[in-house]
Amino acid sequence: MQLFKTTSLISALLLAGLTHAAELRVLTHSSFAVSKPLLAEFEQQNGVKLSIIKAGDAGEMVNKLILTRANPIADVVYGIDNTMMGKAATAGVLLPEAAERKSGQPQLPGATSIDYGYVTLNYDKAWFAKKQLPLPKTLEDLTRPAYKDLLVVENPATSSPGLAFLLSTISAMGETKAMAFWARLRDNGVKVSKGWTEAYYTDFSRNGGARPIVVSYATSPAAEVFYSKEKLSTSPTANLLLPGAVFQQVEGAALVKGGQQAALARRFIAFLRSDAVQKDIPTSMWMYPVQPGIALDPVFQHAEKPAAHTTPNQQQIAANSAGWVGKWTRIVLKSGQ
Amino acid sequence: MSERGHRTGLALLPLAFLLLMSILPLLRLLQEGQGAVSTGLFADRYLQWRVLWSLLQAAVSCVAALLIGLPIAWCLARYRFPGRSLSLRLLMLPFVMPTLVAAMGVLALFGPQGLLGINLQDTPWLLLYGNLFFNLPLVIRAACEGLAQIPASRLAAARTLGATPWRVFWRVEWPAVRPWLLSALCLVFLYCFSGFGLALLLGGQRYATVEVEIYQLVSYELNLADAGALALLMLLVTGTVATLYAWLERRLAAPLKVDPVLPRRPQGMEWLQLVAALALLLLFAGLPLLAVLWRAVQAVAASGFSLLHDEEVLLALGNSARFSAMAVLLAALLGWLHALAARGSLWLRALAFLPFVVSPVCVAFGLLLLYPQWSASLPLLLASYALLAYPFVARSLAGALDSLPRHWPQAARSLGASPLRVFARIEWPLLRPAFRRGLAFAAATALGEFAVTLFLSRPEWLTLTTLIYQRLGRPGADNAASAMLLACLLMLLALLAFLIIEWPSAAERQLRKES
Repeated sequence: MQLFKTTSLISALLLAGLTHAAELRVLTHSSFAVSKPLLAEFEQQNGVKLSIIKAGDAGEMVNKLILTRANPIADVVYGIDNTMMGKAATAGVLLPEAAERKSGQPQLPGATSIDYGYVTLNYDKAWFAKKQLPLPKTLEDLTRPAYKDLLVVENPATSSPGLAFLLSTISAMGETKAMAFWARLRDNGVKVSKGWTEAYYTDFSRNGGARPIVVSYATSPAAEVFYSKEKLSTSPTANLLLPGAVFQQVEGAALVKGGQQAALARRFIAFLRSDAVQKDIPTSMWMYPVQPGIALDPVFQHAEKPAAHTTPNQQQIAANSAGWVGKWTRIVLKSGQ
Repeated sequence: MSERGHRTGLALLPLAFLLLMSILPLLRLLQEGQGAVSTGLFADRYLQWRVLWSLLQAAVSCVAALLIGLPIAWCLARYRFPGRSLSLRLLMLPFVMPTLVAAMGVLALFGPQGLLGINLQDTPWLLLYGNLFFNLPLVIRAACEGLAQIPASRLAAARTLGATPWRVFWRVEWPAVRPWLLSALCLVFLYCFSGFGLALLLGGQRYATVEVEIYQLVSYELNLADAGALALLMLLVTGTVATLYAWLERRLAAPLKVDPVLPRRPQGMEWLQLVAALALLLLFAGLPLLAVLWRAVQAVAASGFSLLHDEEVLLALGNSARFSAMAVLLAALLGWLHALAARGSLWLRALAFLPFVVSPVCVAFGLLLLYPQWSASLPLLLASYALLAYPFVARSLAGALDSLPRHWPQAARSLGASPLRVFARIEWPLLRPAFRRGLAFAAATALGEFAVTLFLSRPEWLTLTTLIYQRLGRPGADNAASAMLLACLLMLLALLAFLIIEWPSAAERQLRKES
């Protein structure tokens, strides 16, 4: 009898759960950080329960999406970027939107662009001041003896910014020259870390490491000021916007093929492009909003926005990135073993 | 029911659990990757170097852990000093440290701008140091436990017969403590061989292990065929080690004599030994933690506790406590059943190692493939924690069951005690220390969340470990400082858990007083 009661109670609860407010499953990368009140407002206005599912960085997220395409784990995905878009499109895990949203810049073909940013080099100002070493002027300078053992990059095979940086060098120099450049960089002692956190917090000289130049984001110097105890007046780091070392990363959102709640999912994407969220993005995820006319927090004066970038287009990335990463691995990591 | 049938019944739950959480996910991943394995995968010199390096660093770490851990353990087991039992609990703290925080602690000491003025970054020494930091607790705790089991009368007899302390050690203590050490070293080997956090962090890409290669193949290249082949190769090595260990353990098991040696106050030169042992312990297990603590104190000095005034911190603290408690309960249940079932069964005993030997990357992605609809559900996450935590309980209890004196329960039964009474009055008191030790390690595993970054996560499941990684995912001094503070909070929570789990019973307190 007791058992019967329990089972019926459980099934009643389950049924209640099923008939309750619709659930929208949102897959994101682990940097997703839209403010909670904004998300709550969306839930209230649309009578929906948001289930945010974080799936590692953008690369891991797309692979998880591909692995589960037969039985999708989400209805809408946010955080897919131009390095991964081609892979996702080829695997057919996203629902192509009939009418591309054209407003906002830049675009992310195949998805709706939400925000963008730049992967580039950051340097430790204090380190260079102390050593009285002039800043490198070109990427080639980094292969000279004066700059030996000064650079740390992320492994493009395990890190999104690492891949972005590799892509920008290839776009600037062409594959052959870029690989030769990486070989010289290897001989000049470039260090390769697994991901951004490892590079920034264990190798960058600003945080206890030995390398004063790190592959990071163009907004990082602003974030350094924003997250500083004594509210710094200038950033301890700055961008080193060398030609060929700037990649424009565009992040977007798209419906997952085979997902449910398509109407709600579209409303969620529109919500991400609403003024409120676009205003929130710069200081929560450290990316620039795609919608024009959004005022940036004053702290962004510490982040020099790159005027130019070298970014391959999505098709080039989709067709070649696996091969490029394989070559890079052979040249930088495998040789000399 | 025959004993055999009885055993099968007990084993049902843990076996089903292993099947669902470990074996099937791996098989599913292998099935998904059923393409051709890249030609020349195993002929690749780079890969051969990684396999060799994985083996080498694991073996070296084992030898170093033995050489450094045993003398420390001997002093901790034999000498009574103020703070002894606290030291034994503090010893477990490295186990809960997120790899990244531990690495930052180690670098704060031995990094390019380290407090100690020697830069060991990018040398194998730092990697070895990191491995010792994480694994010494295993060896020391096990050796302490083993040394405490040696009958005091046997030691006394040897001494009366004129044996020097060295001779006593070699002839009496060493053989007795060997099975305990072997068990711990086996784990150290498995952790160092397949672990992928620390090697990479402290050694750079050059020192990456095979597990790192698997991670890259699965989560970035989606090359499941090659990943599967490598995972099977790893399984072959680790499985062999685990089976060898299970066999040795059974051979070396000796029934317990309940006449444990009690620690005594050191005298004269013995104080020196003790101080040296504690200094060594501090150097290898304590310094990185102190470095983390130091950075946290600096952060508090600069801006007070404002960094902790954050609803996220409360949520994370609550979740960490809740999830770990649930995982530990599940681990306790599975551990008991597995240990009881594994009595006298070699293969069941070896199977308790399965969660340690199957590549966690493969399990995480296999689970995603196998149960996509459950992949972002809390029960699955907790089950994954329990999977990594329960072998500690199972192995610890299995060892204790082996050394249970057989004739005591028999005598009690023949005197008319009910099986329940025999268990409550004889078996349970003898098993309790081992059970608690297993639980403490299980709790540490659950709190430390080894493979947390591999699984899907939700903002509402925020735990201390995930929050630390989240903070370290952004630039800025505040983020680094709050990560250090959170790590201290994690240590406090772990210490609390250990104190609750290993709270001495009334009888033990009495014994301690008398000694």
